[in-house]
This record gives sequence, C-alpha cells and structure tokens, in this order.
Amino acid sequence: MLKIRNLQTFYGRIRVLDNVSLSVKPGEVVTLIGANGAGKSTLLNCISRLIPCRQGEIFFLGTRLNGQPPEFVVRLGICQVPEGRQIFQPLTVQENLEMGAYLRYGRRDKGSIHQDMDMVFSLFPVLAERLRQISGTLSGGEQQMLAIGRALMSRPKLLLLDEPSMGLAPRVVADIFRTIVQLRDEGLTILIVEQNARAALKVADRGYVMETGRIILQGTAAELLEDNDVKRAYLGRDYREFTEGRS
Amino acid sequence: MECQDRTELAQLQLERLQSTLNRADRNVPFYHNCLGAACVEPSAVRSLDDLDRLPLTSREDLSKNYPYGLFAVPLRDIVRIHTATGTGSNPTVSGYTKKDLGIWKEMVARSLTAAGVGAEDIIQICFDPGLANWARDFKGGAEAIQASVIPMTPLEVPKQVMVMHDYKTSTLVTTPSYARQLVREMTRMSVNPNSLSLRRALLLGEPMSESVRTSLEEALHIQIQTGYGLSEVPGPGIAYECRERQGLHINEDHFIAEVVDPETGAQLPPDEVGELVLTSLTAKAFPLIRFRTGDRATLTTDICSCGRSFARMEPVKGRADQLVVIRGIKLHPQLIRGIMSRLGHGSLSAYVGFVRRLEDLDLLEIWVRVDESHFSDEIKMLEHLVHTLRRELEQSLGIPAKVRLVEPSTMALYEDRLGQILDERANG
Repeated sequence: MLKIRNLQTFYGRIRVLDNVSLSVKPGEVVTLIGANGAGKSTLLNCISRLIPCRQGEIFFLGTRLNGQPPEFVVRLGICQVPEGRQIFQPLTVQENLEMGAYLRYGRRDKGSIHQDMDMVFSLFPVLAERLRQISGTLSGGEQQMLAIGRALMSRPKLLLLDEPSMGLAPRVVADIFRTIVQLRDEGLTILIVEQNARAALKVADRGYVMETGRIILQGTAAELLEDNDVKRAYLGRDYREFTEGRS
Repeated sequence: MECQDRTELAQLQLERLQSTLNRADRNVPFYHNCLGAACVEPSAVRSLDDLDRLPLTSREDLSKNYPYGLFAVPLRDIVRIHTATGTGSNPTVSGYTKKDLGIWKEMVARSLTAAGVGAEDIIQICFDPGLANWARDFKGGAEAIQASVIPMTPLEVPKQVMVMHDYKTSTLVTTPSYARQLVREMTRMSVNPNSLSLRRALLLGEPMSESVRTSLEEALHIQIQTGYGLSEVPGPGIAYECRERQGLHINEDHFIAEVVDPETGAQLPPDEVGELVLTSLTAKAFPLIRFRTGDRATLTTDICSCGRSFARMEPVKGRADQLVVIRGIKLHPQLIRGIMSRLGHGSLSAYVGFVRRLEDLDLLEIWVRVDESHFSDEIKMLEHLVHTLRRELEQSLGIPAKVRLVEPSTMALYEDRLGQILDERANG
C-alpha cells in the first residue's frame, strides 16, 4: 500500500533521514519506534508532503507522491494526526470535525458527513457530549481523540499517527491505544510513530526501529518486543518511567 | 512468503539489506573498516543492484576475526556458539541469538515441507560428527513441523540400518556418501529395500550427480531431494529443492544470492556459472555481507512450476577454490598444513593428502615422508607419531582419517604436489 525507498531528508546541512526504506501493507498496523530526534516525525511529514525530501521515492497505492502538494496526499487517502494534536483550538468540537471533512464540504455531501461524525462519536462518546465546546478547553486526552476523529472524517485509507501518547496520563494512553486496536480491527491501515515503544508494539503487526535517521532493525511486533537491543534501548526506559511513576 | 510477488520481495529485501548494513557498519569494526576502505557508505545501497559496490568477505576474513570479531551483538545476547573448520589454524566461530535460531529452524522446516515431510513422518538423521550442527538444525526444523525425529547418534552403519528398518523410518537425512554406505550395508545384511518404510531421503553436504541420485533412488525405491547450506552458519536450509526438481529455491527473504566471477569478483548475469556469494538479511548476531562460499553455482529467477517465486540455483557441482568436500566437511589444505607444522615442529613438511573412495566410503589419507630425523630405532616412536597425527586430524575435522608413513623414494612421485590434497574420487 505504502512503499518508501531510500528516503533522504536534510534540515539545512544536517541529514535527518538516511536512506530509509519502509513499507505498509493493506490492513496492517506498522509502528516506527526510536528515540527522540531519530527522525520518526520527519518521515511522517515527508509522507504527508509537509517537508520535501532530497532523494528517494514514496509510493501510495502505486501513485508517486514526490513533488505533490499535501492536499493531493489527503485526497489519495492518507491523513496524518500530527504530534501535539494541533487541533483548531478556537473552534468548537463540531467545527473541528467538519474541518476534517473539508475535501467533501463543497459537494453538499452533508448526509455522509453526519454519518461519519456519528461513527466518530461511537468511537469517542465523550466528543458527542462536548460537541459545542470550544476545543481549546478540552483535556489533553480529549484533544487527542478529537485529532484522531478529525482525521477519520477525511475517510483515510492510511492513518498516520504521530506520538499519540505524548503528554497524556497512562490511563488516557491506554484509552487511545484501545481505540487504535478498534480501528485496526475494522480494517484501517495505520502507521504509528511512537516513543512509547511497548504500547505501540503491543497493538502493531510489524515494527521498524530507527536510530539517528537510519532503520537499524525491523520485524514483527512480537519479535521486536523480544529483541534484546529493543528491550535495552526502548523498553527499558519505559520500565524505569513506570517504576518512577509509582514510587 | 515463498510464493510472494517478486516486486514485494524486492522491497522486503531492500529494507532488510539496508538495516543489516546499518547494523553491521555500526556494530562490527571489521565491516565498518571494509566499507571505509572501499569508500562505500551503507546509504550508498539504494537498490539491490547496488550490492556489487560492497566489498566481498572471504573465509579467511572469518578465520582472522577468530573468535568473536564478527559478532554484531553483545555476547550476552548470544544463545549458541558454533564452530566450523576454518581455512587456517583458526576455526571460524559464529553466534546466534534466540531469534536467529528461530529463523534457521523455520528455514529447515521449509526445506523439509518442500520435500513432502509432514507430522506423520519419522525422520532419521545420520551425519558424521563434523556435521553435528546440521544434524541439530534438522532436529529442530523437523520438530517444528511435528515430525518424529531420531536424532544423530554415533552408531555404526549396521546399527543405523537396523534403526531404519525397525523404527520404520520414512525420511532419511544424510550425505550422499553416507547413503551409499547404508545401501552397501543393506546388501551385505540382505535387507530388502521393500521391507523398509523409507519413502524419501534428503541428501546434502556434498555434490551429488544425477547418476548417483538415480542409482540411490533405484536401490532404495525412494524419492531423493537435495538442499544447500553453509558450515559457517549452521544452516543446511539456505536453499532447498521442491518436488519439481528444477533447482534449489533460495530462502530469499533471509539471504540474497549472487554469482560472481571467482577470479575478478565481478557479478555475473543469471544462468552463468560462477562462485556463489551470499548476504544475510535477517541474521542479527552474525551478519554476512557478500560472503564468498567457494561453491560453483548458477542462478535463475524464472518462476518454478511449483509456484514458489524464490530464485533458484543449480545443485552445486563443485568448488571454485581449493577446498575439498569430504562427507560434507569442507577441508582446506591450509588446515592440514597447520596441524602438520604444529605436531612436527617443522619436520613434517613433506606430505600429500588423498581423498579416496573405498567401498563407497570417502576417506582422507595422509602420506607423510619419513626423513632421517624421524628414523628411530624405536618403532614405538613412529607408531606414536602416526597415532597422534590421526587423532589430531579426526579431532579437528570430525571425520575419520588415515595416516601412512612412506619412504622418500615413493614420495618423490609427488614431489611437485607436496602439501596439497588430491581428490581421487571418481566424479559424483
């Protein structure tokens, strides 16, 4: 479904992505894990065409994305949930969700938009309760739900999730990942970028491990959870955070 | 996986190749230096066609980095350490993580399945001690497909025939030369092949000509499949034969195979004969980057009629280097040289090795010239020398060996071939 070959991206003179190749098959949940600054979010931004890549190719359903504008990518069926939610804070929950269906808005397709909104409410009942609330006043977890809901309104074939657990309380993180499992079970294809490696690997089918712009390991999620390098580098940290949080 | 679309496979191979290179470059100083010396960054590999820009690795490199120099993970992650006869005085040592072993098991399971082996089969594994690693792998792979396994045991040939008959073995896993010995022994013991439950055999470890295969199939009334593996990585499962018998399918999700000109190292197009070069794609502990196997092979990528899309290689016909394969064990002249100079303190420099077939049994025989310095009144001293030499050879190689002391006049016939190993077996 998504095929990336030899992607290289520079911020100024610094090489952020170094020859990255990665693929996602239909119906798969794939996660990209790695430390802060490894280049994970940059990769998602390259797929969404928010930043240019200097070398390499990105194909989605056989269409080449290089050189295309971001709206073209959304129209093809890729939607990104950006890091830190980035919802339209002054707008209400409803307006945010409607913005997600922006591409369909002009077509007087209101029936289908309402249908999709009901689907989002069934995933996140709390959003239905907050429909007219200014979204900036929502809690962090609710904002994340809204950001995912907004992305789903574009009827994506591939959902890109950038650090969905960032800055959220453990219980809320568990809620968000439960939703991801639900979306996976409904057949949505998802690429998750996460620092919370354990949580991401638990819901994913496959994973890639990135270090300073290079992919150094890939495999099924079960294999990576068992891998000693991954355990030392990523899962260990989670373990420490977990125990510190409890003491 | 085995029938995957080839463009999907190419993407998978590229992803795995790039991460293997990144890991090898980062974790193994030898590969880092090799890439540096060739002025190639791992990121220079942008497609599978770029593979030939990477330097080749040889058996000597493996020996030089004895014991743990080529390991790409800390020793605490290693769960198995494996030794193979090297080319020089050092053996080659390879290591495996838990996941690596799982992959090998899966590859062996594939080759057994392709040969038609299933849970209802009884598998008897017979190898010489030198191929104990292969025996272990076959045991693991066969257990993974829930077959009943009779693991390798150091039984005499007649006992093996007895086990094969009484335990109702349906699948035999061994080398072609061992299979020949079994057939000979069966004739001697008057065991009728029809009284066996044997249905197939997997013969590998040494080249097997079509005529040998046919004669064994007729003698035992069975189907014979073959396979390909290396002794450096304990895998008999690198390539396997399906029942179409149109060449050996290479496990391309775990290895990339190339064929190169043994002289120049240049990559050769499909269907040309050259030296087989392998690059591992999933090995974590012991990655191999463009490893020269020394085996002569040809590659073809047309889809086999069995439906598997993995590229195929012709069964190996011989060696592209000085190695001699005897009962599946690869023997380098350098290795014998090492043993001789160690034991003889320089006085055992004149010797010739022979590989002979005696009553279907491949034997290594070493002729040593007796110099005046050896002449001793005590016959015991000479006997001791022969004994030590033989024991040392058997210890290092894991196969039986014979040592003969010969007069200088006899040795003169081999004056120009001293230190070599002469293969006197009829081909096949």
